[in-house]
Amino acid sequence: MSESARSEIFAKLRTASRGGSAEAIDRERQSLQSAPAPMPPATEVCEAFLINVLKNRGSIDCAAGRGETVKAVAQYLYQYFRSHRLVAGNDPRLAAMPWRDAGVLPRFGGIEAGEPVALSFAQLAVAETGAIVTYTGKANPAANNLLPQHHIVLVDRTDLVATQEQAWTRINQDMEKRGRPRGINFIAGPSSTADIEGQLVYGAHGPRSWHVILLGDTPADILARAHSAVT
Amino acid sequence: MEQRSNTFLENASEALKNTEQAKRRDSMARLTPLLRSAAIEDVGDFESLRQQMKQVRQHSLDNLDHYLTQFEQEAVHNGNRVHFARDAEELNSIVLDICQQHDARRVVKGKSMVTEETGLNSFLQRAGLDVMETDLGEYIIQQAVETPSHIVTPALHKSAEEVRELFKDKHDLGPRELEDTTDMVAEARQVLREHFLKAEVGIIGANALIAENGYSMLVTNEGNGDLCANLPKTLIVCTTIDRLLPRAEDATAMLRLLARSATGQSQTAYTSFYSGPSRDGDVDGPQETHIVLLDNARSEMLTGDYREMLECIRCGACLNHCPIFTSVGGHAYGWVYPGPMGSVLTPLLTSLEQSNALPNACTSCGRCAEVCPADIPLPDLLRDLRHEETREKLSPSRWRLGLKLHAWVSQQPWLYRALTATIIPLLHLMGRRRGSFTRLPFASGWTSERNFPAPQGKTFMQLYKAGMKKPNE
Ligand code: SF4
Repeated sequence: MSESARSEIFAKLRTASRGGSAEAIDRERQSLQSAPAPMPPATEVCEAFLINVLKNRGSIDCAAGRGETVKAVAQYLYQYFRSHRLVAGNDPRLAAMPWRDAGVLPRFGGIEAGEPVALSFAQLAVAETGAIVTYTGKANPAANNLLPQHHIVLVDRTDLVATQEQAWTRINQDMEKRGRPRGINFIAGPSSTADIEGQLVYGAHGPRSWHVILLGDTPADILARAHSAVT
Repeated sequence: MEQRSNTFLENASEALKNTEQAKRRDSMARLTPLLRSAAIEDVGDFESLRQQMKQVRQHSLDNLDHYLTQFEQEAVHNGNRVHFARDAEELNSIVLDICQQHDARRVVKGKSMVTEETGLNSFLQRAGLDVMETDLGEYIIQQAVETPSHIVTPALHKSAEEVRELFKDKHDLGPRELEDTTDMVAEARQVLREHFLKAEVGIIGANALIAENGYSMLVTNEGNGDLCANLPKTLIVCTTIDRLLPRAEDATAMLRLLARSATGQSQTAYTSFYSGPSRDGDVDGPQETHIVLLDNARSEMLTGDYREMLECIRCGACLNHCPIFTSVGGHAYGWVYPGPMGSVLTPLLTSLEQSNALPNACTSCGRCAEVCPADIPLPDLLRDLRHEETREKLSPSRWRLGLKLHAWVSQQPWLYRALTATIIPLLHLMGRRRGSFTRLPFASGWTSERNFPAPQGKTFMQLYKAGMKKPNE
């Protein structure tokens, strides 16, 4: 790098800046109002999340316990691929699932060419945007989000937050504990493009289909309620 | 990219002759404002949201040296190499150096207006590198050897039929026909997947830089930017020095507005934050990451009269709502940034001499300012640029003389009244029968397209005086 470019640019910025102390700048920042979040489509946070996933053109399912979770994954795999195989990151939460009970054969690691389905366990999810959040790393290699045709994501109900601000509170806490991940990925839908005559097509570069399974205690009719809110 | 902004009028009349493209622009102009307004309604309080974003952006720009220093420290701490570039050439050569250090031959790129601005692709290609745009729109125009016509949807000017022909010409399709858009997207996906897997270097832009933790934020729908950021061994983030936000939370207002204003989505499919090279135990990710921060006149804008333009988040809403842009399209503007935002930016980033036609490409209708999520007073900035244009004698001398004469007459009330009191009744008499004129001396620019209505007989001042005499009627 040319050191002179850096110092020249900073010299110009210094003349333009207010030149307050770090404390004064921080105080001013803290005094700024916060950004209002949009009204959620339902008062109950699980329902709002599932509705927004559907609006983002994802598909949804729910599972109360581990047994139901592996069954839900098995069903999805069989429905679309007549297969039992998928790839998943080395996430201990995934490794602990009773896959054999449902006849699913996961391979743990990074996705390889030709593998059509990847499974991720989200770190958290945001009801406001219907987004799931993953951190890159051994537990969820980035390519597993991007290269499969179908991406299945498990979200624990207790990891669901209402707004983007709350999501950052959680992420900042995680970073305090475990350091900064290389990548923080908010995913809200299958990959899409409207670059040819404005026509929306799914599966531009990333997954064509995005399937979210919400784990834990949820109201019995929540799937039906979410579907009826969108159609 | 060679600049052709000053032939805006010629470019525009040329563009209007292509009726097929004009029709597609019309349908875009009908549809996108509807999508946007539905999405904006959904956020509820648009005004306080955009005011919040404005506060944050202003605060960041007011203290840019502080936040940029903090960002640099954090980014270096995260393992990045941070570079500064004063201008386009510096950015281009920094990027080329990095590629050459790695003996790279293949580069994949995410969509980046900054590198359009610096002409990075052709620079790298001249040095023998294979540079592949991976955003579908950018890929299409790269294959067609054209330039973007919109900052969000760069291939807006292309029809599906043209894309089909292009792929038939450039790809080895065999007997495949690519019947619909889905087939074409799948074809591009397959071709580009190979490039992603083989490229040694990935280049992306950034929608924001987060000072407190050194992350850069990337927003896309296709996921191509994320593939560029995660698959090649070396990643280069190219952006400008003004993109700073203090904290990650501060990006939420921008994220609530950006996609809604751009495409009418509540959020794009991928919103990613990247901090640096891969860590111990990571399965994938680049081994080396660079961040190149370009100035290119931003520091001058910061101290000048057009500082608010730095608050632009590149959503494209002002383009979609502009009667001029939607009539003539992006190419008429003759450089990288079109529409209202481009008509302000281009003179500031190049020179007013090279682009003084652009601030005149405005009807002052005000729609752009109404929809701008950054609350930038675009019509005011355009007016100020026109003012500068006149002051610096850049407009044709005939116009300036006319304006001067008009200003002088307007400042002499007796003369103004005498002249209008003579001309108005005369025009009234002449045009009485038809009610309008199809031709008028000195007004052929008007009458060539539409009739000029004949005055009703009295001047405003005459009517006003008559009214003043009988106040109670
Ligand atoms: S000027 Fe405003 S409306 Fe136009 S692109 Fe920038 S942020 Fe969007």
